[in-house]
Amino acid sequence: MKIEWTNANIGRRRFLKGATALGAASALPMGWANRAFAAEDGVLRVRAYGDAQNMDPAHSVGVVEEEVHASIYNKLIQYKPGEEWGWQMDAATMIEQVDPTHIKFALRDDIGFTNGFGAMTAEDVKFSMERIVDDATDSPNKPDLGPFSHVDVTGEREGTIVLNSPFAPIWSIALPYITGNIVSKAAVEAAGGRIGADPVAESGPYLRDSWSPKEKTVLKRNPDWKGDAPAWDTVEIYPIDDENTAEIAFEAGELDVTRVSLGSVERYRAGVPNGGSLVEKPSLYYVWMGMNVEHPKLQNQKLRQAIQHAVDVPSILEAAYFGAAEPATGIIAPGLAGHRPSSLVPPQANFEKAAQLLAESGETNVTLTLDTLNKTTFTTTAQIIQATLAQIGITVEVNVLESGAFWASGDNENLQLVLNRFSMTPDPYYATSWFTPEQIGKWNWERFNSAEFNEIHETAAGETDVAKRAEMYQRAQDLMEESGAYRFITHEATPVVHSARVTPALRPDGLSLFRYFGKAT
Amino acid sequence: MEKSRSELGQIIVGVARDPLGLMGLIIVGVIVFCAIFAYWIVPYDPIAMDIKSRLQGPSAAHLLGTDQLGRDTFSRVIAGGQVALKVALPAVFGAMAIGLTLGMIAGYGPKWLDNLLMLFFDTIRSFPTVMFALAVVALIGPSLQTVVFVVMATSIPTYGRVARTQTLTLRNSEFILAERSMGASMTRILGVHMLPNIIGVLAVLAAMDIPTVIALEAGLSFLGLGVKPPTPSWGALLKDGYSLIRQTPWLVVGGGLPIILATLGFTFLGESLRDVVDPKLRKQR
Repeated sequence: MKIEWTNANIGRRRFLKGATALGAASALPMGWANRAFAAEDGVLRVRAYGDAQNMDPAHSVGVVEEEVHASIYNKLIQYKPGEEWGWQMDAATMIEQVDPTHIKFALRDDIGFTNGFGAMTAEDVKFSMERIVDDATDSPNKPDLGPFSHVDVTGEREGTIVLNSPFAPIWSIALPYITGNIVSKAAVEAAGGRIGADPVAESGPYLRDSWSPKEKTVLKRNPDWKGDAPAWDTVEIYPIDDENTAEIAFEAGELDVTRVSLGSVERYRAGVPNGGSLVEKPSLYYVWMGMNVEHPKLQNQKLRQAIQHAVDVPSILEAAYFGAAEPATGIIAPGLAGHRPSSLVPPQANFEKAAQLLAESGETNVTLTLDTLNKTTFTTTAQIIQATLAQIGITVEVNVLESGAFWASGDNENLQLVLNRFSMTPDPYYATSWFTPEQIGKWNWERFNSAEFNEIHETAAGETDVAKRAEMYQRAQDLMEESGAYRFITHEATPVVHSARVTPALRPDGLSLFRYFGKAT
Repeated sequence: MEKSRSELGQIIVGVARDPLGLMGLIIVGVIVFCAIFAYWIVPYDPIAMDIKSRLQGPSAAHLLGTDQLGRDTFSRVIAGGQVALKVALPAVFGAMAIGLTLGMIAGYGPKWLDNLLMLFFDTIRSFPTVMFALAVVALIGPSLQTVVFVVMATSIPTYGRVARTQTLTLRNSEFILAERSMGASMTRILGVHMLPNIIGVLAVLAAMDIPTVIALEAGLSFLGLGVKPPTPSWGALLKDGYSLIRQTPWLVVGGGLPIILATLGFTFLGESLRDVVDPKLRKQR
């Protein structure tokens, strides 16, 4: 059959008519939304919010890559899944803090690296930790090791970690997290000192079988693993940035585990599709509104305190966080040393007190800008702050910025109010490190400058008495709040849904530990 | 004057006789009416929050439900139309006025000036619109004026090139040569004799450009870089709606439907106008 394209009578007008009709027809329900996909028996399908692109722990950029690294490498100790922060043995059979600056360890004798790189030895531990602090490696994770000095190798599988000064966070954010991963010295040296997108030698309960960028990472059971066997033969990790998309995939049966949006919590509380369950975990993130104390408009402490009292946190949590998050009392989340049971300024707005403080400040006709990211949660929060501050006569103009411009605000001296959110690891040291005088112009956007705060930050890291340490961090947060530069909002929450066939293994903040995932019986 | 009034009448009748044109005229008429009389049409203050009533579905009280801050979506859609036209009309007509002036000067003036203006137009055209918009927003901050400026700046070359081509076609016409031989000034030739012959084509182009501008404003607002909160905008509605689509799909409908209707309406109208203004084109189809 010959088609005469030149005679095809499809003019622009006819095309417009046809396209309009087609568009209208496409809006009709097609009944595809409820398709469910069958799941293979030994395959666990999980969602990550990003793609794990780098297999070098020294250059890991965070949780997404650590979820894979924690499955294919071993550490001396690993986080324990559950409700409270703690650790358990992994590659170590013994680990002990013999004095504030020395930690002795002994390795298991049954862990080997793939690709013929032999058994794991204390030399591998030494190499893995020392290369992170070596300036030549240029690791972004070097600060996590704090005053780490070196590792003394005392036997084939024995050694001592040596610190320059006491460092309590080594047990909470160094050894069980990114910087604790042990790589094979021989394999890395054979690869020229750097691991790229592919692991050079693995030792964990899983091996990375394949990686299709932005599509899927597949982990398969390590046949040579001698430890407790993982429950799942295969773990498929799908990078899905958008939570709405992940929820649809979960409900269609394409995923077994995913974090969901706070807006969906209410719906999932009423019932999770396909017999699944909802797990609600607290999050370590902290969200706050900061005030640049060096800006001429905000140098008056009474004005800043008036603003603190005029922001109604419960309204923000209701509208922007769907009532699924609790108010924050500071920068340290519940469950961590130094968490304050309550803030100095109550979460509820007190407009009378705010008006009184504003009158005492002597400031009139106050107009301020509030910078925020272009995400609905933040723009919603910003609009509530705008509306509540208007009640005491303060006019706020909301500046919405895309992420590049927003995260470059550190050296912006003209910044006035800013809505901010920082990530966190499970140690208070990590939280206070961004608000020291040294961080002014970098991450201390409020330009909060307190010598007492700085001293607490420096001494608390070395304090091994847990109660004393907690007290110090509580005082540090009091100082932040008393300055009037901060209005703490929330630590958010981590709601996770999982299918009926999975027993998830989650850290207390809701992040996955794949190697400990079980099968529901 | 009477003649031009009858020409305008013929154009309107011509558009109204064409089914697509009539549909476009009605849609555009409704949008413009709602935008002009928004203050009287909206049932609620579009920026008044009522958090207790957030994320409600459509009801008699709230025709399109409420958003995450309890604001009436229908009122925000109507008020958003006002913002869309406040951006689109000054931007398109501003660009048309500047482009027309520069294009006629390029077409009628000396060769060096023509080359210079063409270089200027090509330079502006070489920037991808959205990237240019993002750069300007990053430099001077998001606002209604920024969006108008971006759209105007990026649209000037299109109008300028069309005006230049038309001027070049007309400059050696007998009636222009006659005017010139009688000593008419350049201003008189361009303003009195050339302008009426060019403006029709540009008006059609402007009608077709309005939906593009509305979509650009909506796109920038979708990225959170358009008008500042709490000003309602169709793009911002769409953005919030997308984030909350699992909780309340009505926000997406509220933000998306007017953009679709405005695009269709102005496109139908522009198509029909083109046919009426240039019947030769219609015969070719």
